Amino acid sequence: MKSKDNAAGIGILGLLILLVLLPLVTVLFQVICPGLSLDKFNVSNLALVLDVFKRPLWKKAFLNSFFLSCGTTVLGLILAAILAHIRVNYKFVGAKLLDFTAWVLMIIPSFILAQGWVYFSSGNGIASAWLGIKGVGSFVFSYWGLVCVMVLCKFPLAYVTIKTSMEWYPSRLMHAARMNGASAFRAWKNVQLPLCIPAYCSAAMLIFMDTVGDYGMSSTITAVYSFPTLPYTIYSAICSSPVRFDMAGVLSLYLMVMIVIAMAVQYGAMGKKKFDFLDNGTERVMAVSPKKPVQVLLTTGTVLFCLIALGIPVGSELIMSFSGSVSVQKFTFTLDNYKEVLSSAGSMVSGIKHSLGLAGISAVFGILIGFCVAYVLTYSRFKLKKLIDMLTLVAMAVPGVVLGIGYIFVWNQKWLTKVGLHLYGTPSILVLASVAAAIPMINRVLVGGMAKIPGSLLTAAQMQGAGFFRKIRTILLPLLHNSSVSAVLAAFGGSVFNLAITTILYPPNYSTLPVYISDSYNDLKFGYAAAATMVGGAFIVGIMMLLEVVLNAGYRKKQGH
Amino acid sequence: MKKKKLVAMLTAAAMVLSLAACGNTNNQENKPAADTSTAASGEGAQENKESEENDTKDATADDNAADAAEKPVQTKPLVVYLNDFDAVIGDMFKEATGYDVEVVVGNGAETMSRIAAEKGNPQWDVVWIDSMYDVYNLAADGELVTDWEPENAANLTDFSKGLVPENKCMYPTDIHAAGVLVYRNDVWSEADAPKTFDDLTDAKYKDAVGMADPGVAAPAYPLAAYFMDKKGLDAGKEYFTTLFDNGLKVFPKNPQVVQALAGGDISIAMLQETNAYDMVASGEPITIIWPEDGAPGSTRVAAISASTEQLEIAKIFVNFLLDAKTQQQLVDTGDEGYFEPSVEGVTLKAERDANATLAVADEVFGAENEADIKAWFADMSAK
Repeated sequence: MKSKDNAAGIGILGLLILLVLLPLVTVLFQVICPGLSLDKFNVSNLALVLDVFKRPLWKKAFLNSFFLSCGTTVLGLILAAILAHIRVNYKFVGAKLLDFTAWVLMIIPSFILAQGWVYFSSGNGIASAWLGIKGVGSFVFSYWGLVCVMVLCKFPLAYVTIKTSMEWYPSRLMHAARMNGASAFRAWKNVQLPLCIPAYCSAAMLIFMDTVGDYGMSSTITAVYSFPTLPYTIYSAICSSPVRFDMAGVLSLYLMVMIVIAMAVQYGAMGKKKFDFLDNGTERVMAVSPKKPVQVLLTTGTVLFCLIALGIPVGSELIMSFSGSVSVQKFTFTLDNYKEVLSSAGSMVSGIKHSLGLAGISAVFGILIGFCVAYVLTYSRFKLKKLIDMLTLVAMAVPGVVLGIGYIFVWNQKWLTKVGLHLYGTPSILVLASVAAAIPMINRVLVGGMAKIPGSLLTAAQMQGAGFFRKIRTILLPLLHNSSVSAVLAAFGGSVFNLAITTILYPPNYSTLPVYISDSYNDLKFGYAAAATMVGGAFIVGIMMLLEVVLNAGYRKKQGH
Repeated sequence: MKKKKLVAMLTAAAMVLSLAACGNTNNQENKPAADTSTAASGEGAQENKESEENDTKDATADDNAADAAEKPVQTKPLVVYLNDFDAVIGDMFKEATGYDVEVVVGNGAETMSRIAAEKGNPQWDVVWIDSMYDVYNLAADGELVTDWEPENAANLTDFSKGLVPENKCMYPTDIHAAGVLVYRNDVWSEADAPKTFDDLTDAKYKDAVGMADPGVAAPAYPLAAYFMDKKGLDAGKEYFTTLFDNGLKVFPKNPQVVQALAGGDISIAMLQETNAYDMVASGEPITIIWPEDGAPGSTRVAAISASTEQLEIAKIFVNFLLDAKTQQQLVDTGDEGYFEPSVEGVTLKAERDANATLAVADEVFGAENEADIKAWFADMSAK
């Protein structure tokens, strides 16, 4: 058993080293070896690491990133937990709207959401010029405003993870608690809630990592509110001339320090306790219909929430997509943006086609590798599994542009051409980078799901003669069905709009949807960029809904729904 | 056990190899296409020439045969890294010469970082970008073809001739204002509005002024470098310190400056000229001022990679960019048509101020002080 664990662990570790660590090391190594040229090797360059205490920009960026991520994680987790609890336990009109909102927010890249918030909140924006609501801008463009916007953009990751974990109910343990005199609340607090700690930890890590590594939101909001963050500063270092890869390496190191701290907090919270409660004393949670007033309250609250979280950013983009002007104040209604988008269908469609192809391959490879990673992390006794855990988190938190640069260093070596592995400049490099970017999310969602499935179930099956794949097929896959579907869809949606990686790595004449949108924005075609976002986004959401139906079709049939 | 470890490692390697196969397939698919297009290109170029010179048909036919014999044969598309004109330049060059171009478009900073990361194995043939100082620095590292002169360089304006460095590593194709003064005319009257860049230090413009980040936006560094060069490094820093004390806001790129101006979050800006004219064209209440002593200019230059395998075609491309007909076409059709051409005989956009004057920092000063100025600026904007 141990040898199998080790074999699987080594395989997974090897893949992650190739996909994440190696590219990252090539950037980090630049600190002591600029340009990866050995004759420039100088250990004294490590002094640069201390510049975070000297350079005002670095210090501010580090603190901003830290506090923004902490604030977003705490508030996002609370919000996601409440929403997941309501969604799983109660039937009400609008429940599916909540799921839809979460999914759409999860796939739309943060720079587009941030753009929507800027259109809404800026001085002459929609809130002020059209709705006559003053003071929105001064709130949104403050620390707490930014935290709120971040929470509304990032909560879906946690919501999906927690919701999946709440679908099973430890009925035998709960009954035992109640029979021993515990109140319903006390039983929930002392039995059910602690069993969900792995899911909460996964959710918190997802929000933290996604916030700390988010470039799109900070760079866009910075347009009206000076709030430099680490990803923005890393981007500046990489894009500075002469290019300072060493600075990007040092700043990425700070991000990794934050990851290690966050992991330490997570392991501290979980300790060595066991959380696998899924056995024959477990029941699937059935949502109940609350009393009418509560139903009305839940429906109203949900609709209002969705209007704010999704309606404001997407609605603002929608309004701009019909604008013939660059500002809301001078809005003139036009359909030209859509006409232009649809008439330039050739380039738009080829962008969508490239993005869809990349996302499809990333999702397939991502779910295969992510599943193996989660399996090793949950069930194996592989000694280096904490390193595996850390590498997946690093891939999520380190900005795509850093990984992208690392990929160029790794995959643009001359000798690779001779062995047919010169992947830079071909679409394959985008696939590799997209898989690396998709694994963390898939892994987190699956780890949350696997934590509640006891290893004893797998051992029992093995003792009855079931082989490895049979155990997966007959035990894990059915129990992890919802988690797997969530993971695939999240990876697919996220990859379609992955801007950072595709910008730095895209091969000549190989435009992708986010590059296409970003170029239009940089050419001041705000309305056109918004229209392209709407058309592209609607197309992708449509495909994802179709995927969801297809992936769940067989499962629903088996469940007898 | 060893076998299982091996299987695990092989699985990992299989994924990479399958991707490599995918990449190679693409490469292989590209090659015949490029070869075919080359064959077609030669014919296309010949056809073009014939149609243009019908009156001297016989002589032309002979010339074309000679040209075709001398014409460099293209084995793969010329790869050009650029930040503007990506939508038109490929077709224009193909139409004029028959050669294929593949473009990689990115903002100035992204393009330069890509070039830096590719240093050991460059994948580009020509860089054409409005980051003169960055490109000049590439020559110092031996990354550019130097000491060559395109035929059309003879047609450069006097101003542009002054921008060609001694080592002739790059040639200017256009200069545009990295920063004109713009203000919202619904906030400031003509009398109250700033007339010169020095006016921006006035306390009445507190928290009203914005510009793009010299560390990220390609045209913003020439803007900062101009003041540092013109006033002297210390006096230049003092000027910007006063602006920062007066609430200067720094945005990542010019589109965000436009958004902040349009949204009313700032009311005055030092803005790249195409963005400024686009705002006016879009109906925004914006007035553009060209300061009398000149607006800082950002120079777009073209340079050839020292590692290019297509030196002759790269030279044809740079020469093509210095052709007055090409520059006229870019003024008329390109996204970034507001600029001062680098060669004689080009008509400017009608909306552009006929008396607009541009001034640029010395290329050696700009290149040598780039890292310091950008770091200083970044730290100041964070305070």
